[in-house]
Amino acid sequence: MLETFVVWLADELAAASSSLVDSSKRVSLWYLLSAVLFAWLVLSLRYGALGWARLKPYLSWRVWWHRSARTDYQLWLANRLLLGVLIPKTFTQAVWVSWLYFYWQQQGFGDLQLGWSDATVVVLFSLCYFLVDDFSRFLVHWAMHKTPWLWAFHQVHHGAKVLTPFTVFRTHPIEGLLFFLRSMASQSLVISIFLVAFPNQVSLWQVFGVLITTFVFNVLGANLRHSGVALSYGSKLEKWLISPAQHQVHHSVARQHYDRNFGVTLALWDRLFGSWHPGNDDQTLRYGTGQAIDEMGMLGQWLEPFRSLFQTLQRRTKQRLKLRLRGK
Amino acid sequence: MKKSLLAMLIAAGAMQAGATSYEFDVTLKGYQGDATSSVSYSGQIARHALHNSLKKVVSQGDEAVMLQYLSGTEDGRKLLDPASKDGFAIKQSSIDELSKGKNLVSSAYDGVITGWPGNPTGQELLEQLVAQAAQSNQGYDPVNGYDYIQLVSKFAMGAVFYNKAVNHYLEEKLEADQHPNNEAYKAGVPYTGKEHVWDEAFGYFGAPAHGLELTPEEVVQITKQNPEYFAKADANGDGVVDLKSEMAYAHAYYAASIDASAGTNYFHTIMQAFVDGRQLISDAKGERLTDAQRSELKAYAATIATAWQQVIAEAAFKYAGSVYSDLEKIAAVEEAHGDVSKSFRNYVKHWGELKGFALALEAAGRDLGNAQAGLDRLIGFSPVLFGDMQVVAQDGQGGFVQASSGSMQEYKLNMIKVQNLLAQSFDLKAKLKDKTGGMSDVLKQIDAAGQSAEND
Ligand SMILES: [Zn+2]
Ligand SMILES: [Zn+2]
Repeated sequence: MLETFVVWLADELAAASSSLVDSSKRVSLWYLLSAVLFAWLVLSLRYGALGWARLKPYLSWRVWWHRSARTDYQLWLANRLLLGVLIPKTFTQAVWVSWLYFYWQQQGFGDLQLGWSDATVVVLFSLCYFLVDDFSRFLVHWAMHKTPWLWAFHQVHHGAKVLTPFTVFRTHPIEGLLFFLRSMASQSLVISIFLVAFPNQVSLWQVFGVLITTFVFNVLGANLRHSGVALSYGSKLEKWLISPAQHQVHHSVARQHYDRNFGVTLALWDRLFGSWHPGNDDQTLRYGTGQAIDEMGMLGQWLEPFRSLFQTLQRRTKQRLKLRLRGK
Repeated sequence: MKKSLLAMLIAAGAMQAGATSYEFDVTLKGYQGDATSSVSYSGQIARHALHNSLKKVVSQGDEAVMLQYLSGTEDGRKLLDPASKDGFAIKQSSIDELSKGKNLVSSAYDGVITGWPGNPTGQELLEQLVAQAAQSNQGYDPVNGYDYIQLVSKFAMGAVFYNKAVNHYLEEKLEADQHPNNEAYKAGVPYTGKEHVWDEAFGYFGAPAHGLELTPEEVVQITKQNPEYFAKADANGDGVVDLKSEMAYAHAYYAASIDASAGTNYFHTIMQAFVDGRQLISDAKGERLTDAQRSELKAYAATIATAWQQVIAEAAFKYAGSVYSDLEKIAAVEEAHGDVSKSFRNYVKHWGELKGFALALEAAGRDLGNAQAGLDRLIGFSPVLFGDMQVVAQDGQGGFVQASSGSMQEYKLNMIKVQNLLAQSFDLKAKLKDKTGGMSDVLKQIDAAGQSAEND
């Protein structure tokens, strides 16, 4: 019994650390390195020799070994273990896709027979896949900020006082579960529709085991989003793509930055929802929520959301009670 | 000049690379007899002939005759198939000319088959199927949706040929202490222990010895005894096809048939691995195999076992597609108030093939992981019948118990899931009659990238 537990634990930890060399993972050493090279290149072009100094937060061990960063690492591993247990192995994409694929056909939807080439279908499918994926991330993220009981869990991510690339894993397991479901649902939807419309032609345009857009996103500094390196894409490009500086604004504790820049890759969604905010190379931000959770360790990150959720519910019932009494 | 020299060098290299036909000289040290070939697998060919003949008699309904071919060992059993016909003369006309005293059931898998009510062993299931076939209408049971001709044949091929070769000869018999290569297999024979072990596995595959010289389509036509392909079959040109070395049977036929339709390479992959493995044993010249040689041999065995399993899974995949199409046809005929009996007969036939192949995958003691439980559950113990009923169990008297199940429409969804499960679990290439639109390929890409539980 103990032996199987130890073996399982060792396997999971080995799998987690293998992310560091797996070119399909954002935190692989390749992308950690490509991010700093990309930032160095851009900042040197803009500021010459002074550009290098702006990279300091990315290379500072004070940041990487900050108490907040250490909590990130703990959450990364602990969530991995927990979700590995919570998400049943039989709960697979295949089940969802088969069901939807069958369902569309029962509804009379079938092969479009447009005679398009495989390359066309691959490009179109990859594009739709990317758009649906990016928008659904935006939407769920937006909801996590706008709904009090979801915010209770999402505050964990915003509790980071320093940003490192591993802050991407600083989430509550409930949020992890929601994002897992989001990923399943959005992917299944696109895949099933394309399989029915273009049978035997559907394939993703992948580079090094990931979607081409994800690859470009990772090479061009996805890891800078969670870092102290303020890098703006410039006022024109930021209207289309969310820059690292823009996501840092999302993490800012300042009131005027609340609920800005929910997007991952495209800035389009934020502009549509009126939450877009530009970034700036010279911005100086403080990160965190300004609440108690910023100071808590790993266990606190797991438990505090449930406490604040309970509090929110209590407050609501009281309010309702008051309203009713007043009504009488 | 330069070119022709190069061509000669390449040709010489190719000749050295090994045999193209499954023919090998005697290497056994101290052999005194006058045999020149060390190849022998007539017992396996006899079992192929028993299986082919059994398939014929299941459709005739006489249990005593069926049992002769399944479990009998008596002399004088008729060779019903393959038999001579116009333009396709067969050398042998009785089972005894191939090998005496052989039967199918004693070589069948003795582990549990979870995909049939009551969890019988492979041997018990073969006996049960034959007994039930005898009570059916010439192998057809419309009440429970069984086609015993298909069930018996497809399952027997797995439980006997595939099981014996992959689970027995290419597995435990390759160990150092089993039938060593520096000794005769048994007293008086012209072959060594390891030579014969390998030959027996090859015999069960069912390919003609000159299989590497044949295209998949030619192999298929030879099994079908198409007179136009007689010359292709008759490798030694003696005017008759020798069942011992010139005919194609069972999974060799299915491998070739899949390759011929889909352009895959299962037949030649398996055939080449058999020839190369046998060449390796021959090259040892009657010495005991070293550990390095045995591990090389095991690599060939693994190639064979993997591709063989894929062939069976490919066949199951194809028939899952047929069952799906049959269900569509039945719905269309019903809607037009037509007579569904013919469509239903096809449905039951194809289901029997699907189930037979799916059960065959279980019948060689190989761990199928999640696939086994998935296939059992999705395919069920019978096809979904009219009134949305399905066999769920067997009663004490061996009768089948039905209960209400999902609808025939929902069963179509199961077929999509079956195809997906097979394609993903066994890494299928041909995927004939694919009803999933190529789902498994996309899912493989997505799975490789992993599910994302992260936001930003
Ligand atoms: Zn947020
Ligand atoms: Zn963030």
